[in-house]
Amino acid sequence: MKLKHFLMIGGLLVLGLLLGGCASNLSASSWAGMTADADNAYIAGGPFVYAVNLQTGAQVWRFPSKASTASPFYATPALTSDGQVIVGGFDHKLYSLSAQSGLQNWVFDQAHDRWYGGPLVINETIYAPNADYNLYALDLHGNLKWTFEADQSLWAAPVSDGQRVYLGTLGRKVYAVDAQTGKLAWEKTLDGAILGSPALGTDGRLYVDTYAGTVVALDAASGEIRWQQKASAWIWAGPTLDASQLYLGDSNGSFFALDTASGQQTWKQALNGSVLSSPLSNGDTIVVGTEGGSVYFLDHNGKALHTLTVTGKVYTTPVAAGTQVLVAQSGDATQPILVAYDLDGAQKWAFTPAK
Amino acid sequence: MWESIVNIFVNILLLIYKFVGGNFGVAIILFTILIRLVTHPLMASQIKSSTKMTEFQSSKQWQDIQKKYKDDKEKLAQEQMNLYKELGISPFASCLPTFIQFPIIIALYQSIMRAMAASPTQLLVLTRVVSPLFSSLLHVNMADLVPLNSKFLWMNLGQPERVYMFGVGIPLLAIIVAVTTYIQSKVTLPPSTNPGDQSATMNKMMAIYMPLLLGYFALTFASGLSVYFITGNLVGIAQYALLGKVHWEALLPGRKPALQTQQAGRKSK
Repeated sequence: MKLKHFLMIGGLLVLGLLLGGCASNLSASSWAGMTADADNAYIAGGPFVYAVNLQTGAQVWRFPSKASTASPFYATPALTSDGQVIVGGFDHKLYSLSAQSGLQNWVFDQAHDRWYGGPLVINETIYAPNADYNLYALDLHGNLKWTFEADQSLWAAPVSDGQRVYLGTLGRKVYAVDAQTGKLAWEKTLDGAILGSPALGTDGRLYVDTYAGTVVALDAASGEIRWQQKASAWIWAGPTLDASQLYLGDSNGSFFALDTASGQQTWKQALNGSVLSSPLSNGDTIVVGTEGGSVYFLDHNGKALHTLTVTGKVYTTPVAAGTQVLVAQSGDATQPILVAYDLDGAQKWAFTPAK
Repeated sequence: MWESIVNIFVNILLLIYKFVGGNFGVAIILFTILIRLVTHPLMASQIKSSTKMTEFQSSKQWQDIQKKYKDDKEKLAQEQMNLYKELGISPFASCLPTFIQFPIIIALYQSIMRAMAASPTQLLVLTRVVSPLFSSLLHVNMADLVPLNSKFLWMNLGQPERVYMFGVGIPLLAIIVAVTTYIQSKVTLPPSTNPGDQSATMNKMMAIYMPLLLGYFALTFASGLSVYFITGNLVGIAQYALLGKVHWEALLPGRKPALQTQQAGRKSK
C-alpha cells in the first residue's frame, strides 16, 4: 500500500512537472524584435532587452537586471528623438529605457494584455498596439493621450503619415485613425487576420498582407480597395516597399515582387523555407530571412547576390545599420541571437547573450 | 506519437469550436465531456476496484489478520497478498485508471493551449497542425477560424484568470477549481471504518493534495485549463452519481457517510 501511496503522490508531482513544462514552453510565445540607431542595436530577445554595440558586437547593457522569464520581451523596440528605447513586455507594461544606460525612465501600466507589436514613434507621440485590442497614444513622458479600441488583438506596429495612424488587427480589420485625437477616419474588413505591419506608400496607398494569403492595396484616404492579389499560401509578415515595387514572402517559401501601381507580379523567387518576416529594403539590396535558416541578399530584379546560412530560424525583419545588416535568429540558448553582416554578406560579429 | 495525439485533440477541439459558433469556452466544456464519456469505462473500472478495496479493508477477515500479525510486517504483507489473490483484488487496479488519465490531462492542456493560438508562436504551430482532413470536412481553412475567440464569460482563456476588485486580483477560477476538486474528492472517495485502512488514509491525503495542486495549476496556468478542471470535476461527480456512488453526506460536518456505516455493519455480521 505504501508503494501505491508513493505512486499516487509521484504521479501528481510528474503531472505538475509536465504541466509546468508546458507552461514554460508557452513563455517563448514569440520571437525577437530588433531595431538600431547609429551606435547600438536594441533587441528584445526573451528575458532581457539588450543593447549591443554595432562596432564590436559587445553588450552595452541589458534590462531588467534580473531575467524576466515569466514576462519576457519580444516586441520590436522603438527609439525616440530624445534617447529613449520604448519596449513592451509580456507583463503588460510598456517601458521607457535610456538608450545610453538601459535605466528605466518610466513605465506605462494601463494595458491589459501582452505587447507583441512594437510601438511607432512619430513626432512627440508614441503609438503602442496591445493585444488587449487597444492602440495607446502616449507622450514622450508616458502620459496617455488617447486610446483607440479596435475589434481584436493588435500584434503588429502601426504606420503613420503624421496625419493618420493605420493599423491592422487579428479581426481582419484595417483602421485609419486621426493621429492627434485617435478618432476613427475609416475602417475596412479584409479576408484574413492581419499579423504584420502595413506599408504606407508615397503614392497615397496602404499595402496590407493578410493571413488568408492576400495582398491588398487600399486608398489611404478613403480605405477603398485599389487592387488585391492572392499569394500561393498564407502570409504572416507585412510587405516592404521601395519606389515602385512591393516585396513579400509567404509560408510556401515564395518571395514576390509586385508592381505597386497594378499589383501584377514582376518576379518570384523560391526560397528554402517559410518567410515569416518582412524583408529589408536597403538601397540596391533586398534582404530576407527564412524559417529554414537562410538569409538572401537579392537585387531589385530578384537575382540572388548572396545566400547566407545561419544556425537558427529567421523570424525577425533584418535591420540596416550603416554598412551592416543585422539578422536576429531564433535557436537554442548556445547560439547567437544576433549576427551582423557587411553588405557583401561577410559576417562581422555575432552576439550571444551571457547566461 | 505524443505530438500526433495532441494534434488529434487540437483538430477535434477546433471541430467543436466551429460547430458551437466560435465559442472556445463552450468548446472546452464539450470536449471535456466527450473525453469523460470516452474514458468512462476506465472510471467505472476504477470505482469498482475502489469499492472492492474498501470492502476488503473493512472486512473482518482482513482486520483479524491485521491483529494477528500486527508485530510481523513481512508476514502481514504476505497474508495481504494471499488475500488479494483469493478475493481477486488487484491492489493497483483502483489507481491505474487515474494514472491513465494523466497523459490525457497533459495532452488536453497542450491541445487547449495550442488551439487557442493566443500568441504568434502558438498560431504558427496551430497553422501547421490543422489537418487537411479537417479543412476538407468543414470546407474551411485556418484563415476562416482566425482570430480564435479566446474570451469566455469574464475570462481570457489563454491567460491565468484574475477578477479585479478594489485593485486586487482575486483568482476566482482557482478558488472554484480547488472547491470543486475538494467536493468531488469528498463525495466520491470510498469511506472506510477500519482505523488501519491505509487506503482510506491515502484517500484523505488525496482529498487535501488534489484541490491544492489543481488550485495551484489554475492559479498559474491559462484559464482554459481551469475550465477543463471545473467541468471535469462536475462531470466526475455526475458520473459517480449515475453509478450510485456519491456520498453527499460526507460534505456535512461531523456526519459519517451512510454507506460507510451500512457497509461496516454488513461486514461485521
